[in-house]
Amino acid sequence: MERQLIISVGREFGSGGHEIAEELARRFDIPLYDSNLLECIAQERKLDGKLLGKYDEKPKNRLLYRKVKGFSNSPQENVANLQFQYLKKMAEEGKSFVIVGRCAETKLKEFPALVSVFILGRTETKIQRIVEKYHVLPAGAAQMMKREDASRKSYHNYHCQEKWGDSRTYDLTVNSSYLGVLGTADVIESYIRKRMEA
Amino acid sequence: MIAQILAVVIFVVMFALIVSEKVERHIASMGCGALMLTVVFGFCMHSMTAVLETLNIRSIFTLDFWYHTGSAAETSAGINWETILFIAGMMVMVEGMGRAGFFRWLCIRIAKAVRYQVIPIFVTFMVMSFGLAMFIDSITVILFLAAVTVELSQLLKFNPVPMILSEIFCANLGGSATMCGDPPNIIIGTSLGYTFGDFITNTGLIAVISLVFIILYFYLCFRKELKQKPEDKETIVYPDPAGAIQDKRAFAVSSAIFAGAVILLVTHAQTGLTVASIGLMIGVVTLVAAGKDAVILLRKVDYSTLAFFTGLFVVVGGLEQTKILGVIADFIARISGDNMLLMIAIVLWVSAIASAFVDNIPFAATMIPIIKTLSQTVGVDLAVLAWTLALGTDIGGSATPIGASANVVGISVASRSGHLIGWGKYCKYAAPATIIVVFISMLCIYVRYCGIAG
Repeated sequence: MERQLIISVGREFGSGGHEIAEELARRFDIPLYDSNLLECIAQERKLDGKLLGKYDEKPKNRLLYRKVKGFSNSPQENVANLQFQYLKKMAEEGKSFVIVGRCAETKLKEFPALVSVFILGRTETKIQRIVEKYHVLPAGAAQMMKREDASRKSYHNYHCQEKWGDSRTYDLTVNSSYLGVLGTADVIESYIRKRMEA
Repeated sequence: MIAQILAVVIFVVMFALIVSEKVERHIASMGCGALMLTVVFGFCMHSMTAVLETLNIRSIFTLDFWYHTGSAAETSAGINWETILFIAGMMVMVEGMGRAGFFRWLCIRIAKAVRYQVIPIFVTFMVMSFGLAMFIDSITVILFLAAVTVELSQLLKFNPVPMILSEIFCANLGGSATMCGDPPNIIIGTSLGYTFGDFITNTGLIAVISLVFIILYFYLCFRKELKQKPEDKETIVYPDPAGAIQDKRAFAVSSAIFAGAVILLVTHAQTGLTVASIGLMIGVVTLVAAGKDAVILLRKVDYSTLAFFTGLFVVVGGLEQTKILGVIADFIARISGDNMLLMIAIVLWVSAIASAFVDNIPFAATMIPIIKTLSQTVGVDLAVLAWTLALGTDIGGSATPIGASANVVGISVASRSGHLIGWGKYCKYAAPATIIVVFISMLCIYVRYCGIAG
């Protein structure tokens, strides 16, 4: 691909956002980054990837950690900052990629190559998807969904002024429950191709 | 009674706001200070005298504020302007030293002196951290030391976490050794009229004894993790200390000012100069020497910390004026009876445990009037309680990742390079070290001041 393209995919838990991101990466033939971003950082800096992974996309615990003159001792916050720096470095190097979550729509908003998408879904459809994917009962799935979404929201809103899931934060906000993974990917692909032509 | 209740509520709200980090700590302390002045002193007590005593502006215009003609005296309640002026002067000096490259030069110079061998670097950096923190705030010490440690760890291929944990602990320990090492000590010293010499011969001695045990402790903990791989040595390009110096003239001047500050502090009991005078002198000399860069130095001064101190002194002044602290002192006196050993143990361990979780500056500021009252009512030597309080608050902060600012900064520097330090990893090594030092301190205080030997 000649022109740089960065697709950020924010998602509600159970919306199929990750699968849609995979599909987009395949269609545009660009790499996908999610939790594997930390493996890249760990490999490059010769660090313990497993330890970094423990704090991936987790909100900061305000009671247990402090900030002094801009220095935070929260592992969650420091892991997030390592990821933000790495994403910026890749974007500055002109690389194209799809990134799932990690506040990418805000952290990379200065790059013209960025197209930011947020995937949401109807509660029933999301619960159904979670039941099938994680083999849990519907009640457990609903709890899991609530917990994960609260965690993502808290993580996002701590690191960004823009709010998680707010349509004004993203270029495109799509409900995946009506068109499914492939149909939603079609809509987003068509939008991105039009943007690239413009 | 209403005034007392409101004073406690304002104090608790301030503490809660500081811990929650919902607002900056200087806004919390200044806001609560303003409430104390208007609501408690104004509406409840109708006392202009309390307001004036707490603002304490009159003290600045007395000779005793700048120069002690006789022995150092206890200052009145309220805002401790001597502490604020001294800290401001030190901030300017430290900023000048940092800009000139002094700290980085010192770290690399010492690493070079021990031929870049990991274990000797580990030991010398602990001693350097202790030594620098005796005169300079521990945040600055750790900021530079941890950054150089990370850099050396990448070159020499070792894990920087053990070294940074040891440096943090020694910085906090070094801070306990002198009157200017840690903010609680400055507040204790200026409030109760003790000199630099008083601190160094009391808390300083205990800190040095503790340092010996702590170096041994950390060596035994980390000796295996810090083993250097010999095959890597040939290919390494070592950093040159001279490369750290940004500006040779500024470096020479800032080194001379630092040496001057140390001499002035060590001799201030003899010269009669107060820490306020010393702070003002070193600040002004640094600014004059900086020339046109003086504006940059002034901009870099951490005014929010100075505002935090000001608000804090007002809030604690409110507790003092409403006699709440006297009630707490009576309570401690009742528990310990006339048992001095028990009283020392209570002050030491309560201070250490509290400082492990909450900011030790407001804690120390609150405890000073309490130990003053205790000394008057029970007849225990005030100096003994002062050293106990200083050691408890300074050392207790080392136990957890949130206990002291140096811990937060050190962990942050390590984490920014990907070396994460959580509560488990930190407390596994620092909490036992803290307990060891608190025990050593208790033993030293008992033996030296309570006549228990053998």
